Amino acid sequence: AGFIKSPLSQKRLTQDSVELYCEAIGSPIPEIQWWFEGNDPNETYAQLWDGARQDRVKINATYNLHSTSTISIANLTGDDSGMYECRASNDPDRNHLSKSPKVKWIRSQANVFVIERPEITPLVTESSGKLTLSCNMSGPHPIIKGHKWIHKDKVLEEDENSNAFTSYTIEGKMEEHSGIYECIFEANPQIRGEVNISVAPQVTAYKKSEHGNEGDTGVLTCKNPSYPAVTTWSWYKSGHGVSAVNASGRYIIKSSGNKTELRILKLDIEQDTGDYFCNGTNSHGTGEATVNLRVRSRLAALWPFLGIVAEVLVLVTIIFIYEKRRKPDEVPDGKRQLGLNLAGKSNATNHKDKNVRQRNAN
Amino acid sequence: PAPAAAGRAPGPPDGGWGWMVLFGAFISIGFAYAFPKGLAIFFKEIQDFFGTSYSEIAWVSSIMLATTYGAGPISSILVNRYGSRPVVMFGGLLCGVGMISAAFCTSILQLYVCVGFITGFGLALNLQPSVIIIGKYFLKRRPMANGLAMAGSPVMLCTLAPLNQFLFENFGWRGSFLILGAILLNCCVAGALFRPIGAGTAPVKSQVTEEGKDALKGKITEDGPLENKTEEEGGKDCFEKVNQYLDFSLFKHRGFLIYMIGNVLMFLGFFAPIVFLAPYAKHTGIDEYSAAFLLSILAVVDMVARPTTGIIANSRWVRPRIQYFFSFAIAFNGACHLLVPLASSYTGLVVYSSFFGLAFGMVCAMLFETLMDLVGAARFTSAVGLVTIAECCTILLGPPIGGILIDTFGDYKYMFIKCGAVMVLAGTFLFIMNYYNYRMLAKEEKERKTKEEDPEAVRTENEAKKNWNKDSIQDGPELESLKEKGEGLKKEMNGT
Repeated sequence: AGFIKSPLSQKRLTQDSVELYCEAIGSPIPEIQWWFEGNDPNETYAQLWDGARQDRVKINATYNLHSTSTISIANLTGDDSGMYECRASNDPDRNHLSKSPKVKWIRSQANVFVIERPEITPLVTESSGKLTLSCNMSGPHPIIKGHKWIHKDKVLEEDENSNAFTSYTIEGKMEEHSGIYECIFEANPQIRGEVNISVAPQVTAYKKSEHGNEGDTGVLTCKNPSYPAVTTWSWYKSGHGVSAVNASGRYIIKSSGNKTELRILKLDIEQDTGDYFCNGTNSHGTGEATVNLRVRSRLAALWPFLGIVAEVLVLVTIIFIYEKRRKPDEVPDGKRQLGLNLAGKSNATNHKDKNVRQRNAN
Repeated sequence: PAPAAAGRAPGPPDGGWGWMVLFGAFISIGFAYAFPKGLAIFFKEIQDFFGTSYSEIAWVSSIMLATTYGAGPISSILVNRYGSRPVVMFGGLLCGVGMISAAFCTSILQLYVCVGFITGFGLALNLQPSVIIIGKYFLKRRPMANGLAMAGSPVMLCTLAPLNQFLFENFGWRGSFLILGAILLNCCVAGALFRPIGAGTAPVKSQVTEEGKDALKGKITEDGPLENKTEEEGGKDCFEKVNQYLDFSLFKHRGFLIYMIGNVLMFLGFFAPIVFLAPYAKHTGIDEYSAAFLLSILAVVDMVARPTTGIIANSRWVRPRIQYFFSFAIAFNGACHLLVPLASSYTGLVVYSSFFGLAFGMVCAMLFETLMDLVGAARFTSAVGLVTIAECCTILLGPPIGGILIDTFGDYKYMFIKCGAVMVLAGTFLFIMNYYNYRMLAKEEKERKTKEEDPEAVRTENEAKKNWNKDSIQDGPELESLKEKGEGLKKEMNGT
């Protein structure tokens, strides 16, 4: 048997978690065990199993083509510091009580240091249109190599100073920049702190004015993009005094932390037209927005329709009348299928006319 | 030789009321081409309302387009029988009724029928007669008139798009359909402007002996019912009856065949690039608004290109060789598509859109003009019907084939290459075949002239003509009458 991957030594802060990984091959497939020796001079190696230390220890092992094992310890304390040993053996006698185990197990060690977590004091100050976020680290800490500020998985600022204090400035107001900001101290291990900008819900409507057709379903939507999320949404309607719109009968309300939707079935022009208020509450206050609903009557489109039809009829009539009036003056362009014959005919008629006229004149 | 004899109708006015007719055709053609495209704005809402998938909604557009092109022959037959004006007015009425009934539809199937079939059929009845009547009112200025009338399509599209958006926001889709139905009734107004005119048909039968000589010079063409009345042999069998309304003898006409084959080939690659331009732009990482802007650039350039091409095609250097110009435009179009894979940045695509708009406008402006030039205004009615139904298949196949290419290879460039190749091929084909056609026409012209000098030959010619297969004479039509009128249009028919 032999190790493909050995566990790595690591430094961690208290309340953090640590993972050690070990991989071995052999024929037959070796078994992997985890053993721990604390820092006390009196301590000796003791085996770790899945669920040890008040269920903080989890061991995950697979034995396919070769053996792998991962041990993770959560919520570290100072007592978790020490030497962790990954032992592997494929000897069939390996767990025999009478035979000496040292000969048959190969081992690989990793040192885990658990350092007391330094305290980070987060602070948000607002002055003259600017917001200043700061993290102040107090107590003993490892050497700092730099700082980072992160918001919504995006890096806002980075530097390479070694202070125990770092700050980040934003232009604007708290209401515009609410959310969770992380200040990171680059050290071994990495130390993270959290600065939250919490405000009352900044509720806005998707569309200030909505339209719906009579008899159809109308949808009014409000959203809250700020932090923290809204815990309770409610809808009110004006017009007949302020009354809460319950999710019953014609009204259906669908809400989540950052959006709420009011659906009104079978819109009625008289009852449903008017202003609607959506109200959102969280731990920091309440926010409200107004949506105006206009219900179009079924016949709304009828007037423009009739107008255009009238215009068409008028134009067609004008064109035809114009044509009829011009006809006597123009040479008839009509169907001249028997071109010659027609010419002959018209000549004949002209002669007739002339004769008539002459006769009349006479 | 006697100038246009007393029996012959005066030539097309080339002005006067013709401008009003042009305006009507502008409106009519504009609606016919732009309306199906403009409807796309309503699809999302209708899709949500009926709970159907996107492809089911897209069928509405496809049925409409298919009906508009497929009903071409019917349109031609009706125009041959009744003239342009009644057909367009009826078409406008049909469109209006279709859209108005669509406003009250309760299922997607009813939408297929109302919007797809009825409105599509109405638009077909609009499109053909408008194109036909331009040929009757314009001769000298016909290419320009064609260019101006075809410009209706992009102008209408640019107007309809924001209008539809406005209507949709204020009235919902049902109200919008109702109002659009009323707007389509304006096609009736356009139709009312199409005052009937006999010019351009001037059929002088060889049987009329006094006109013997002119008969030789004039176009010996058939005008449906006329042929029947003066045909002494009678003998109306079923085939002849159909032929009376829809001139199937065109299939023996050399120019017509060339045109049809070339165009059917061309349409395979004509519309697909437009359909896929915006998706391709988004695919290369351009945002939605800029992608839509590309189409606007295309439309604006198109709008300017069409009348300009019309004017150029009308000039005395280009007009006699208009078929070459047309083939060049098609090949130019194809070349643009072939170069697309090279344009990867936004500026490259903007340049492509402008050139594409230019090429597209050029081809569209001359689409019907070249057909008129080849078969003459009299047979144009039937010709355009037959051509549109042949094109119908390839037009509908083009974008789906492009779509399949894109899906198979996962890359848009193969679709563009296919379109470009098809169009360059079509352009080259038309160029070569028209060169051949011009030479044959010149040859026949020469033969005709030598026969004129000999009166003996004239009489025998008259006799012979009675039994002649009417299609053996190929038309080099308008150029003849122009020469006679002494308009001073210099054409250099090769070899004359």
